[in-house]
Amino acid sequence: MKFSRFFSFAGSALLAGFFAGCGRDDRPVLHVYNWSDYIADGLIAQFEEAFGCRVVYDTFESNEALYAKLQAGAAGYDVIFPSSYYVSLMAEQGMLQRLNHANMPHLKHVDPAVLAAVSLDKEMTFSVPYMTGTTGIAYRKDRVPDFEASWRVYGRSDLAGRMTFLDDMREVLGAALKTLGHSLNSTDPAEVNAAADLVIEWKRNIARFETVGYKAGIASGEFWVVQGYNGDVQMVIEDNEDEDIVYALPEEGFAIWEDTMAIPAGAPNVELAEQFINWMHSPEVAAANIEFNYYHCPNTAAYALISDEVREDEMVFVPAETLARGEQIRDLGEHLSLYNRAWDRVKSAH
Amino acid sequence: MRRFRWTEWILTAPPLLWLIAFFALPTGLILLLSFRSAAVHGGIGPEWTLNTWKSLADPVYPAIIWRTLWLSAACTGACIAMGLPVAYWIARLPRRVRSWALLLIILPFWTNFLIRIFAWRTLLHPDGALKALLVWLGLAEVNDQLLYNQWAVLLVLVYTHLPFAILPLYAAAERFDFGLLDAARDLGATRGQAFARVFVPGVRVGMLTALLIVFIPALGSYAIPELVGGPGSEMIGNKIAQRIFNDRNLPLASALSVVLAVAVFLPLMLGVWLRKRLGDGLVSRGGHLS
Amino acid sequence: MKLSRMPLLVSLLVLIFFYLPMGMLVLQSFNQARFGGDWTGFSFRWYSELWARRDIHEATWNTLRIAMTATAISMVLGSVAAWCLHRYSSRLQQLHRSLVYAPLVIPDILMGISLLLLFVHLNVPLSFNTIIVAHITFCVSYVALVLLGRLQDFDESMIEAARDLGAGWGTILRRILLPLLGPGLAAGGLLAFTLSIDDFVITFLLAGPGDTTLPIKIFSMMRRSSPQIINALSVIFMSVTFAIVILSQRLIRPKP
Repeated sequence: MKFSRFFSFAGSALLAGFFAGCGRDDRPVLHVYNWSDYIADGLIAQFEEAFGCRVVYDTFESNEALYAKLQAGAAGYDVIFPSSYYVSLMAEQGMLQRLNHANMPHLKHVDPAVLAAVSLDKEMTFSVPYMTGTTGIAYRKDRVPDFEASWRVYGRSDLAGRMTFLDDMREVLGAALKTLGHSLNSTDPAEVNAAADLVIEWKRNIARFETVGYKAGIASGEFWVVQGYNGDVQMVIEDNEDEDIVYALPEEGFAIWEDTMAIPAGAPNVELAEQFINWMHSPEVAAANIEFNYYHCPNTAAYALISDEVREDEMVFVPAETLARGEQIRDLGEHLSLYNRAWDRVKSAH
Repeated sequence: MRRFRWTEWILTAPPLLWLIAFFALPTGLILLLSFRSAAVHGGIGPEWTLNTWKSLADPVYPAIIWRTLWLSAACTGACIAMGLPVAYWIARLPRRVRSWALLLIILPFWTNFLIRIFAWRTLLHPDGALKALLVWLGLAEVNDQLLYNQWAVLLVLVYTHLPFAILPLYAAAERFDFGLLDAARDLGATRGQAFARVFVPGVRVGMLTALLIVFIPALGSYAIPELVGGPGSEMIGNKIAQRIFNDRNLPLASALSVVLAVAVFLPLMLGVWLRKRLGDGLVSRGGHLS
Repeated sequence: MKLSRMPLLVSLLVLIFFYLPMGMLVLQSFNQARFGGDWTGFSFRWYSELWARRDIHEATWNTLRIAMTATAISMVLGSVAAWCLHRYSSRLQQLHRSLVYAPLVIPDILMGISLLLLFVHLNVPLSFNTIIVAHITFCVSYVALVLLGRLQDFDESMIEAARDLGAGWGTILRRILLPLLGPGLAAGGLLAFTLSIDDFVITFLLAGPGDTTLPIKIFSMMRRSSPQIINALSVIFMSVTFAIVILSQRLIRPKP
């Protein structure tokens, strides 16, 4: 009887499935929620071995998505990587744990210059800086030979369908605000709405809003001009050995941001989380990450360990004069709803 | 007799209770939640209010609802238009071959739905072979984007739903008496006329089922517009997901879901009613038609 | 009557339409080039890269676990439901019938959202269990539908005869119902299994921290990785599902 054999096979497979699920792993588990492609390959495995634990690694694509997920009661994360301008919002709402610096001796390596200039949580009460970088435009010089380093490239209809923006409210509205000569932390409704109108005009020329897919897109030639983060773009250039991709910081200004590590309130494994954050700032680990993702990890001990090539790379360690054109993204407090409405208008417009 | 009824209740209880708890109740919950306010930083607010519903008056929403309706309708139309000849052809095949033909049609459906969408993304790549072919044929400019617009969404929607349309059409075609077509030819009709005036009405119950099976799920599309659609081709499904994941405005997501549910419910009820009417009509005429 | 060419032509075009993208996927998965534009050589490199990725193994394992649990439970609930709908015809069954059929037509996103809201409202944390609950909810309907079809062809008199001969319900279950309805049950189970491993929208909405299933992994990879590795994954996924389909066809083929 064919089917009875199937049944016994299926039955035992089901049982095997049930029981295999249990008793598989007794190691403590650390749940990490991070941006994608942010930690060097192999480092997680190193951490697991060093601390005898298992790491479950999840990725998100925007601060809003991270925030929304935590608000929805996703209580299982131990370490999260919010951008600095989200930390105060989350701290106010009691969503973050206070950090116990006694458990994290490596924090002494954190670069005080960056803390002073860029960080928003300068005392590292709730968050520890992880990486800082810039947001600019990456373009393919073989397809766009006449590129000018300006956000107004998004107004070029000859490039329509071949450009993308990040799917990030602050980044896109920020770019428009800078183009109009305003601060990207402006709380003036007139300025923000004018920026939204400009983006709506630009929207006609873009293929889509893409926070992750633009990397593969520009490498494959699907997109020619993308708004992107300096490290991500550099990773694409290095991985594909593609010299036709160039990263540019627009003349009107650009965003400077900092991503941090934090522990959500109610995290299941606070101790392991603090050990993880501490370990991430051990000089070798920080150096490995810089070499991997081409961002600036503010760890003074790591600077000595990275290769000369990376240390002198102006995309990673931006010189002061260039940096002066940029502006840091700050928390907007209760004015966030102004931007939310403007962004909604942008997303829904034709 | 008493014991009989007890048995019925006890046996029906497990699936019934499960479906009530995890299907009926949550659906009712959506309706309830749409009347709550949204908490400032996301989540469900504390008060009962009509504000959420009022905010749907924003001109944004009718545009999206309209786009959802027309894309679903266009998809349904295309599926039925293509499905009818295919169903006809399979029903005319010799019996032995039929199940293989059906298997061939159905097999793509068994691949993961995301994979199918991904395959189209690769095919429609602006530097891909298909685009090159179109440019060579003079049907496209070099700079045109085949992806990230409404047509890409429509194409992939049709691709995804066509097998679902073919099956009920085939089921109806199988029961169709093809002798009627011969009779029509004898009476002087051309092949085309016979097809359009005898076959098509003959399988109209199948057409109705196909219509319901394509239109209703198409209304709720999320992944397809998300992956191959552009900024101007959002459908209700995307909006709902955006409200949940990005804005955390659950009451608004609920209100939009209620709109979607109504959009689903109305054609469904209409379809069920029509089906009864069509079914009765055909049987009472005593014809060979299903 | 002479076959008109048109339906044949349309059918051939439709078949090409169906298989063209998938054929391309298979082809490109062996293409050495990173972005699949030009063919630079035959290679298994994407398959070996796939083999090395632990996160994909984990996602696959999660997907299977969820599918097996959901299938098992929905097979039980679904068969009970089909039996009741077939055997009884009271008002209770009318309610029962509409509740069983409704999930078949509701768009996934509606079902996903309603369950998400339920869990958020009740403060139930999202986890594999919430995903399994959702999968069971839509699978029950499919299993019930398939079984109901088989039950309609079922000869009731056998049960009457068995009862006349003094058999208890246990014996009837074991000796008559299961053997005769077995293939239908297996087909329903396979259908449920395939729907569960394939499901994206509902799982995506209800996943908790770290709960990745294969469709969710594919979705996130679609935006990130080199497309070739996804092609390789797709080919493997396709082969597995095809194997399951062929198997299920064998099972429900009518006995000679």
